[in-house]
Amino acid sequence: LRYRPALTKKPLLEGVTTASTFVVDQPRCVFTGYDNAVIWLVVALDKAASTFNNSARPGTDETAFQRFPNPVRAYMTLNTTLGSYPCPKPEGDITVLRVGSETSCAQDATRPTCNGPLPGPGPYRVKFLALEGSVPVAETNWSVPITLRKAKPPSSISTTGSRHSADMVVITTILSILFAILLAGLVATLFWGSDSCSGSSTFSKPESVTVRRYNTHHVYDQPAARL
Amino acid sequence: MAKSDDCAHILQGLLVFGNVVIGMCGIALTAECIYFVSNPHGLYPLLKATEHSDIYAAAWIGIFVGLALFALSILGIIGVIRASRTLLMVYIILMLITFAFEMASCITAATHRDSLTPQLFLKEMLERYQNSDPANNSDSEVTKTWDKLMLQNHCCGVLGPSDWQEYTSAFRLTHSDADYPWPRTCCVLDAQGLPVNLDGCKLGVPGYYNSNGCYDAISGPVNTHAWGVAWFGFAILCWTFCVLLGTIFYWSGIEY
Repeated sequence: LRYRPALTKKPLLEGVTTASTFVVDQPRCVFTGYDNAVIWLVVALDKAASTFNNSARPGTDETAFQRFPNPVRAYMTLNTTLGSYPCPKPEGDITVLRVGSETSCAQDATRPTCNGPLPGPGPYRVKFLALEGSVPVAETNWSVPITLRKAKPPSSISTTGSRHSADMVVITTILSILFAILLAGLVATLFWGSDSCSGSSTFSKPESVTVRRYNTHHVYDQPAARL
Repeated sequence: MAKSDDCAHILQGLLVFGNVVIGMCGIALTAECIYFVSNPHGLYPLLKATEHSDIYAAAWIGIFVGLALFALSILGIIGVIRASRTLLMVYIILMLITFAFEMASCITAATHRDSLTPQLFLKEMLERYQNSDPANNSDSEVTKTWDKLMLQNHCCGVLGPSDWQEYTSAFRLTHSDADYPWPRTCCVLDAQGLPVNLDGCKLGVPGYYNSNGCYDAISGPVNTHAWGVAWFGFAILCWTFCVLLGTIFYWSGIEY
């Protein structure tokens, strides 16, 4: 079948790939005519995709999710009938498949077709395979390699890059200058204070000391008396 | 004589007016700093975790500086009216000390504001949110603060939900990536506090999760706080500088 599974592009999903899951579009209107088939999703390591044998039977040890990626290099999961993928696709519906969403059966060996979280960042390739009984009747192409997200440790975040903003420089400089001027002014006043300001400002009420001539009465009277 | 008397009266009047303004500004500074210290936006635990909570120290200093300015302005008014050299000298020296403290507060607020980058909050959030290690009590405060922040502001993470994907975190240790690509508080919640559509939230379908980061909600109040303390303090100090210069000049002219 000329269909290649791909990561969902419409609508844009934030979680289209996470560290252990990814989202592909459902194969709507792809397997037309295979009403009796069961459609499986095959998830394989990128390198193992070309060596995958379509006659591998799902639910056995060779395709069990729990034994992926070692020794099993490709597993089969998400089996449904064509009824789950009605054609045509209704407008406005989001038709996606989330690979890796079942966490409850990830360790359960009795559920080899579990859709468990992927164990590493990949890359992986997927394809859809239609089986009638255990006979493969149709398959799609393999997808392009899908790589998942890798998380970095938080210690790799550098927190030292903060620059000094202009505001802070302005505040510091101006305040330091003002403080220095005040100190200088105070020191200058204490040591040279009174002299330098004499010109304009003596602010207390100045009491002018006047020298009063002492005229004694009898000195003046005598000459007048002689005349 | 008359001229210098007028001069004296004008200078006295100006100084009294200057001191009245300082007193009122002191009260305003105290009120503003009390408002900030009372933690109205609940961001104090986040800042304490980053160990850059010195903008709170700057606000505390501001409270006491404000009260000191008020008290000293009254002292200044009395000293100017009585033209008493000792009172004014005490006033000048105490004002210089207060000036120095307020200067320290402004510079601290401005410097520490600069260090509150998104990367700092991101690192703290990744290391402390939902840290189930029981030895660390302060981390539960951080978790509660983040939950409240994300619920009230409808945001997720610091820069977005992909913070939880791009970096490993304490949250990731206890919550598997497949079930919890990001915390449940990033989902759009209904009235009972449950996600409206859990699958939609896990997938990241627009409308079922909060896609924007919380950094704006954090930096807004923190900026207001820091610049409120720094710039208002700066303005007060400029005015105080003028009044102090005038007082020193006045003091030098008073006769013994």
